[in-house]
Amino acid sequence: MTESTVTIGRFFEHVRDGALTAIRCEGCGALAVPPKELCPECGARRWEPVPLSGDGTIASYTIIRVAPRGHADEAPYAIAAVRLREGVSLLGRVVDVPLDALAIGLAVRFRPIVVKDRPVVGFGPA
Amino acid sequence: MRRVAVIGVGVTKFGRHERTSAELFAEAAADALADAETPASRVQALYYGNVVGGETEKQLHTGPQAASVLGIPTVPTTRFETACASSHAAFRHAVMEVGSGASDVVLVGGAERVLNVPTADSTEYFAYASDASWEQTLGLTFPGVFALVARAHMHKHGTTEEQMAAVAVKNHKHGVLNPKAQFRKEITLETVLSSPKVADPLKLYDCCPFTDGGAALVLASEDVARRARRPIWVLGSAAASDWMLIGDKGDLSRVPATERAAAAAYRQARIGPQDVDVVELHDCFTIAEIVATEGLGLFEPGAGGLAAEKGWTSLGGKIPVNPSGGLKAKGHPIGATGAAQICEVVTQLRGEAGPRQVEGARRGLTHTLGGNTATVLVSLFGRD
Repeated sequence: MTESTVTIGRFFEHVRDGALTAIRCEGCGALAVPPKELCPECGARRWEPVPLSGDGTIASYTIIRVAPRGHADEAPYAIAAVRLREGVSLLGRVVDVPLDALAIGLAVRFRPIVVKDRPVVGFGPA
Repeated sequence: MRRVAVIGVGVTKFGRHERTSAELFAEAAADALADAETPASRVQALYYGNVVGGETEKQLHTGPQAASVLGIPTVPTTRFETACASSHAAFRHAVMEVGSGASDVVLVGGAERVLNVPTADSTEYFAYASDASWEQTLGLTFPGVFALVARAHMHKHGTTEEQMAAVAVKNHKHGVLNPKAQFRKEITLETVLSSPKVADPLKLYDCCPFTDGGAALVLASEDVARRARRPIWVLGSAAASDWMLIGDKGDLSRVPATERAAAAAYRQARIGPQDVDVVELHDCFTIAEIVATEGLGLFEPGAGGLAAEKGWTSLGGKIPVNPSGGLKAKGHPIGATGAAQICEVVTQLRGEAGPRQVEGARRGLTHTLGGNTATVLVSLFGRD
């Protein structure tokens, strides 16, 4: 692991602090969601952390109504795949958007949320 | 590689059982050996699929356990875990063991027991097949993954909830004809459309059930298979993977691993989708069947919904898909599913499928998808 690689632990520490951090390949410039040991585009092993704006649009979404044991008390809740302005995509919980207002193409903005005492990726209205 | 054939098949009744997964496998395996007219002493290895044994049965090391319960305790065993594609992955590796000349007779199979735990628990265990750090923490479920695929497909191609429901109606109709199926009753479009939502837009009847069951088959080298009653030849068997994280997958209306595995299997078999007469594919959710029929090249991208609506994939249609009832009606004991699909296609190519027989079927395809679309296997079969 190179020193600048963003570990999963560090990524979610940043989420807790209100920031999204991607990594950029120092070989070819490809942007990726961490962690990646090798660049899937060029095979290089040198990355630099890059802050993301958090602005994106919903690429697809669902409303979970039958939840796993650990999340049963939270249902129904919305999960969306969000394509961020910089080109990478993240899955996250959508909050503060009425469930019937969810739509592909809807603009959303990152916000840190806590589920079961863990910081997770969330999105709210843009 | 030497030619390899399936010479015997066995499947338990699918549904709820009061036996361990090892017992379910052993029943199917003994049936497969009897069908192959091959004594257990000829078996040189076991390739085994089992997924959530560690959770539902507090059981690891399920390969030797299955072999011991069957009564062949000394053969080498390997347990495969590629989520719902586990026993299809086991099959591909067994084909390579026989094809390479390392063994002449190999047993392949799988089993699963999940109905002994509450649905909220099995929903959680199945979700373990998505990423623990990024996706399980969000409360993503297995239906949730395919709900994301469904929304993307509907948005891009205009696929409707009615077209998805048509897949469920068709597979339940086929399941009536299969005595081993978990559900043997016809349903209507209205049954599906009015069922409770699980993960929008997927409703209860868009989803396959939780199932206990086992399946097994006997693989043999060409020399051995030539003396068998009705060998069905393995024409190709290929695997493909894709990104684990949903966010990394790109266009969610497609399953690229299906497209890559299919291309490799067709290349090995030197045939194309137009040469296939019968298909058993992974309809864990109705949208999964629609996307798979496109990824396998049976229909153009975006035409899978129309194909279901028009009945092109029904028994008697252009290309019958899931004559067994599929995962939707036959059931989905995840560790056994890949092997069970192969058993159905072998039965079809032998012409022994009774009322659900695809007339004159000469070549068949099986397709099994693991978990969050990150694993797919495709195999092709042919009769003499």
